Order: sequence, then C-alpha cells, then structure tokens
Amino acid sequence: MRKLWAIGRKDLIVLFRDRAALILMLAAPLALTVGLGLVTGGFSGGQTGLRDIPLVVVNLDQGPLGAGLTDLLQDDDLQSLLEPAFLDDPAEARRQVEEDAAAAAILIPQGFSAGVLPDAGGAVGPPAAIELIQNPGRPTGSAIVASIVSGYVLRLQAGEVGAQVVVSQLVASGRMLRQQIPVEAPAIGRRLAGNASNFSLIQIESDVAAAEAPASFNPLAYIAPAMALLFLMYTVGMGARSLLLEHEQGTLARLRASPTSESQVLGGKLFGTFLTGVAQLAILITATTLFFRLEWGSPLGLAALILAASAGATGWGAVLAAVTRSPSQVGSIGAALMLSFGILGGSFFSVELGPPLLQALARLTPNYWGLQGFTALASGGTLADLAGPIAVLWFMGLALFLAAVLVFRRRGAARG
Amino acid sequence: MKALLAIARKDLLLRFSSRSEWLFFLILPLAFTAILGGGFNFGGDGDPRLPLFVVDEDGSGLSAALLADLGRSSTVQAHERSRAEAEAGVEDDEAAAALIVPAGFGASLAAGEQARIVLISAPGDIDVLAIGQAVRESAARVGVAVAAARVSREEAEARRPFSSPSERQVYFEEGLRLAQETADNTPQRLKVTSATQADRGLADYSQPAQASAGGIVTWVFIPLLGISALFAYERSGGTLRRLVTTPVARSTFLLGTIGGQSLTALAQIALLVVFAAAVFQVPWGRSPVALVVIMVTFVLSSAALGTALGALVRTEAQASGLSIMLGMVLSLLGGCWYPIELFPSAVQAAVHLLPTTWAMQAMTDITMRGQDLAQVLPEAGVLLGFAVAFFVLGVARFRYE
Repeated sequence: MRKLWAIGRKDLIVLFRDRAALILMLAAPLALTVGLGLVTGGFSGGQTGLRDIPLVVVNLDQGPLGAGLTDLLQDDDLQSLLEPAFLDDPAEARRQVEEDAAAAAILIPQGFSAGVLPDAGGAVGPPAAIELIQNPGRPTGSAIVASIVSGYVLRLQAGEVGAQVVVSQLVASGRMLRQQIPVEAPAIGRRLAGNASNFSLIQIESDVAAAEAPASFNPLAYIAPAMALLFLMYTVGMGARSLLLEHEQGTLARLRASPTSESQVLGGKLFGTFLTGVAQLAILITATTLFFRLEWGSPLGLAALILAASAGATGWGAVLAAVTRSPSQVGSIGAALMLSFGILGGSFFSVELGPPLLQALARLTPNYWGLQGFTALASGGTLADLAGPIAVLWFMGLALFLAAVLVFRRRGAARG
Repeated sequence: MKALLAIARKDLLLRFSSRSEWLFFLILPLAFTAILGGGFNFGGDGDPRLPLFVVDEDGSGLSAALLADLGRSSTVQAHERSRAEAEAGVEDDEAAAALIVPAGFGASLAAGEQARIVLISAPGDIDVLAIGQAVRESAARVGVAVAAARVSREEAEARRPFSSPSERQVYFEEGLRLAQETADNTPQRLKVTSATQADRGLADYSQPAQASAGGIVTWVFIPLLGISALFAYERSGGTLRRLVTTPVARSTFLLGTIGGQSLTALAQIALLVVFAAAVFQVPWGRSPVALVVIMVTFVLSSAALGTALGALVRTEAQASGLSIMLGMVLSLLGGCWYPIELFPSAVQAAVHLLPTTWAMQAMTDITMRGQDLAQVLPEAGVLLGFAVAFFVLGVARFRYE
C-alpha cells in the first residue's frame, strides 16, 4: 500500500506542476462554465440575453386593430423584453432583419382592421394578414415575437369567432332578428375580445417531477459539473500518457527492477490518476462554490460522488493506456474520447430525448452517471438517491481496470 | 517553390503520422454534425417534435378537443399514458414533461368556470419551455372556443331562458361545435415568413445549417490553432535553429507550414460542406463564390492566430492545451454551439472581437439568409483584417529558439 501511495503521490505532484496540463485541467473547465453560464443565464437568475429583443414595426393600418398591436408591443409588461422601432417603409424593415439589426419585423397592412371589423353598414373588407418576418439567425427572439403577435391575433379571432357563434345561434333559436345583426355583432365581438378571462379559462399548473427539487434550478448546477467531468477525461488521458511515457523513457523498466511488482507499478500509476482526478474535481467544485456561489448539496454525497466519478473515469484511462502504443497516440485518442464522452454524456446538451442508440451509448460514459449524480445532489437528493450512479461508476472503474490488466498481460506475453 | 512544398509535405506527414488524426480531421466532425444536425433523430422515429405524455382522466369531449389540438402541434408529439406511466416516464427522462387533464375538467368549463390542467416537468430540462408554450397555445385555442360557446349560451339565456337543463346543455355543445368549425374557417390573420432570399427557396432557421456551420468553425479552428504546437515542436527539437544554416528564408518556412495546414483545412471544409449538403440539404452551394471567399478568409485568420500563438507559447504541450481550450471557448462564444442572441447584450457586442463570431455570421448569411458575395464582403473583410493583424504579430514575435 505504501508503494501504491508513493507512486500515486509522485504522479499527482508531477501533473500539478505541469502548467500546460493545468490549462486544460482547471482553466478550460472554468472558462467554459463561465461561457455556458452566460448563455443559460446562470449568472443572472435565469435571465439570458433575451432582453431588449430588437424589433421593427410598420403599421400601415388606419384602424384600431393595428394601433392595438403597436400599443401592446409598447406595453409596460413587455418593456424589458422588447425594443420596438417604428418605421414607415416595409422594405427598410425587411432590410434591417436581413442585416441582423432586428430579430423580427411586423408589417401591419393597410385595411387590416377593415378586414376584421364590419363597417357601419355591416360589411367587412377583404381579409388582410399581418406579416411577421423572422430573422433565421435569431430563432429564439423571433419565436418570442411570433408568440406575442399570435396571442394578439388569437384575441381578435376570439372576438370574430365568438360574434359569429353567438349571432348565428341567437338567430337560429329565434332570439335575434336578422336586421339586428349589424348593430349587435360588433358589440358582442368587442365584449368577447376585451374580456381577458376568456383567454385564461384553462389554467396550467406547473409541477416539477422530483419532489425534492427546488423551486428554481440554477443552470450552473448542471454546467459546472458537466465541464468538470468533461475535463476529468482529459486528466485520465494524461495519466495514461504518463504510463506510456515511463515505458518509452525506460523508467518503467527501472521501476520493475526495484522490489516492486508489475501490478504494484500499474496500480500505483492508476492510483495517481485517480488521486489527480479527485483533486481536480475538488478544486473545480471549491472554485465554483466560491466564484459562482453554487450549492452542490450534501457534502457527504458530494465526496462520495467525486470519488466514484474519478474511479469510473480512471477505468477508461486504464483501458486507454492498455490499447494505445505511444504517448502521442494517447494524446489524440484521449482528446477524441474526451470530446465524444462529453457530447454523449450530456456535457453540452441533454441526450435524454435522443434515439435509443444515443441514450445507450451515453450510459457507457462516466460523464453521464456523474452528471446524473451531481444533478440529483443539487436538486436536494440524499446519499441514498446517489446510490445508483455511485454504484455504476465504481463498477465501471473496476470492470475497466480488470479489462485493462488482461490486455496488459496479453501484450506482455506477446512481447515474451 | 520546391522548398515550400517540401515543408508543407513534411508538416502533413507529421500531422497524419498517427491514424488517430483522422478522428479529428473527419470522423468526429462528421459524427457530431450528423448528431446535432439531425436533431437527434438517428435511430429514432424520425419525428423531430418533443415527446409529451398526456393523461386524460376526464374523458370528456372538451378534454378530447384539447388533446386533439395538441396532436396538431408542430412542437410536441403527444402520447397518451396512464398517470403512473406518465409520472414514471418523466422521472426516467423518457419525456421532458407530462400533461394531466384531471377529472372534472370538461364539467368545469361547461359550467362556465375555470378548469385546470397540470404540466409535470423534469427539473432543469430546457425543452420544458417549448413544451409549455405549445400547451399554452392549445389551451388558449380551446379556451377561446369554450368562451364563445359560453357567451353564446349566456346571451341566449338573457334573452329567453332555456326550458330545461338539457336544452341549455345542447345549446352549449352546439355552440362549441360551431366555434371550432368557425375557427377552422376563419381567414388567416398572421403570415409568418423568414428574412431569406425568398426567390432562392430557402427555409428559415435550420438546425442542420447551424450544426454544419458551427461544426466547420469548431473542428477546423482547433487544428489551425494547433499550428502553434508545430512551431513549438520544431523549436524544442532544435530543428528551427538548424534551418538558419540552410538557404531557406524564414518567410518560406512560415509560408510552407501555414500554407500546408491551410490547404488541409480547406480540404476538410470541402468534405464537411459536401456531407452537410448531401445528407441534410444544407444550401451551401447557393453562392459558391461567397462560400469560397468566406472559407478562405476564415482559414487565413485561424492559421494566423495559430501562428501568433506559436510565437507566444514555450512548449508543445502548452500549445496543444491552449489550442483546445481557446478553440472550444472561442467557438462557444462565437455562436457555433448556440446562437449568440442568447448572450447578454454586452457579451453580444464583445464577441465581435472574435474571428469565430464573424465566420459564423457569414456562414449563417450564406446558408440561412441566402446572401451572396456582395453581402458577405464585410465579414470577409473583417476576417482578412484578423489574418493580417495576427500574422504581423506572429512573424514579429517569431523566434527560432
């Protein structure tokens, strides 16, 4: 055990003295956490950049409905969300969207109101539609504008449909004379469109699936462990590289010449990788706690999860060392493994709703199980809730370690 | 010229000496473009909509109308389940959300009262936002029809009371049917289009186009920053110093190394572009001249940044680490992984200092906005400016040891 500890400690110190390695072990995950935190609003209480969405509006309608929409877009409730600019020229509005100066353009055509509201004689003009030009480079902002405009159009439709239904039923049941229609229909339509309760007849209650889940979920509680786990795979790749480097430089043979068995040398090297992984995760977690005020959950569960995640990743490091032949090969295959596991394991986006093949592949990565554990922990989970991910990660680590030992022995036998 | 080719050939041999280089050059970029561009549908049922479990505990005509409306949604794909199955499904991440229509829903609406539905969602899943919006829209549409039938019944009752509760109920149901029918036949009041060159038949926001452009920038940018590692490798081995004793000028050496890697990058881009165009019909070929100009200027700016980085780093390992880290961070901030509209406005302005932002902007202009050479020239000019600035810095700081 002393020898294991001595070899492991030496590797830990060597890696933490390597400034180049520290860039990827610590600086890169922190930098990407900050970048992704900005995207998801992790630093602003869930507020992303979707504020002051630039919008251009051209209102050519002379009636009340066009004015109603422009009033809505300037409403106090939407003040922080939208930044509308009013123009007279539809071509200029289109140009602004094409040049990415606006997320969307709303063109209210001449005669829009007249196409919906009957005139004094009860006649309705030809139907005209509002045109919404979306910016394909700003899919979310333009979708929000579309949602607001379609909500307004739905209100108009409520008045239009409601008036037709009421009037036709009243006439059919003999409660209204046909000659009363021009007078009564517009009034009924206005009453329907103006009554806000008509649009909230169906109330949607929200419920979060996990009973322990907090009311709001900080996106950083997902991003920070996701990035830490992504670069944990880099660290175990470095461990594998160190093993092959010792072999290439002859120091491994020198170690074997000492009264240290081959399994002690291999165990010690992998123990060093494991320790480095634990130290890396612990430092990143401490840093994100201090810098981003992130709450990771139960300290006991956190410690157990760090150990398990490092064990699972070290297993993959052992396999990497066993199947590659040179330090440079470890470098490129290790980096490919890091990125593949990061993407498959959910470091950049969730694969949960993906096809079965992708979901099955995700479960082979320590990133997936680690993230399951860290997310459950941040959502208020206890040590018992982490039992599954922790068990899988330790099993993964041990099984892969055994597989790597078998490959090493076979390669050793082949060399004679 | 011979010296140039020899240097470029040597660098290519060095780079592709390991077969694992093909992982970065082609295999991973193609795999990720396929996964991201396909909207995760490889091996799935081919439906890009988000799955939503629905539980109808009411069994009324109104609950059926709500579920039928959701069934026509372009955002969600509704699957009927029992409550236990739906709750377990959300906890097991089979769907991001489940919608429960409780018993009494239809009766409440028919009585003119508010009714409630429950949306159970998985914690921290961003798809819940889109699902919630789709459910709200369906609920509003059904609510409008119910409101019309309810007001119709109230108007009728105010003018002449119904003779029996059943006549009242029949009147309401007839009103509801009429409202749904009328809504279906109402003229279109909103026309949604996209700011693309309509005559070129382009679509609006396209996930495959975003994935293809983002993939090209990310996977080409990182190896080009890796030019810094090539310089560091030569420097640490002393081979750069040896060059001083040969009749090869410093500029020839730099041009050979940078030119070789840039041509390789252009070949990589060509393969990725052909793949995205063939598999996902990403319209890369709408303006071939614009495409070539943007790709060449992007490659030059990235290679120049790699050269500048190579002059600043000390070791090959340091250069490799910095290339990957800078490559990933600059790709993320440049909008290659997520549209930059999601960043706070100050960050949106700040990221215009990065070449990745301009490259992504230009590629979005070509693929999604259908723009041509004249319209992407500003982005090409900025990328060329980056190239000149970084090359000047790199050459000025270049050292043999």
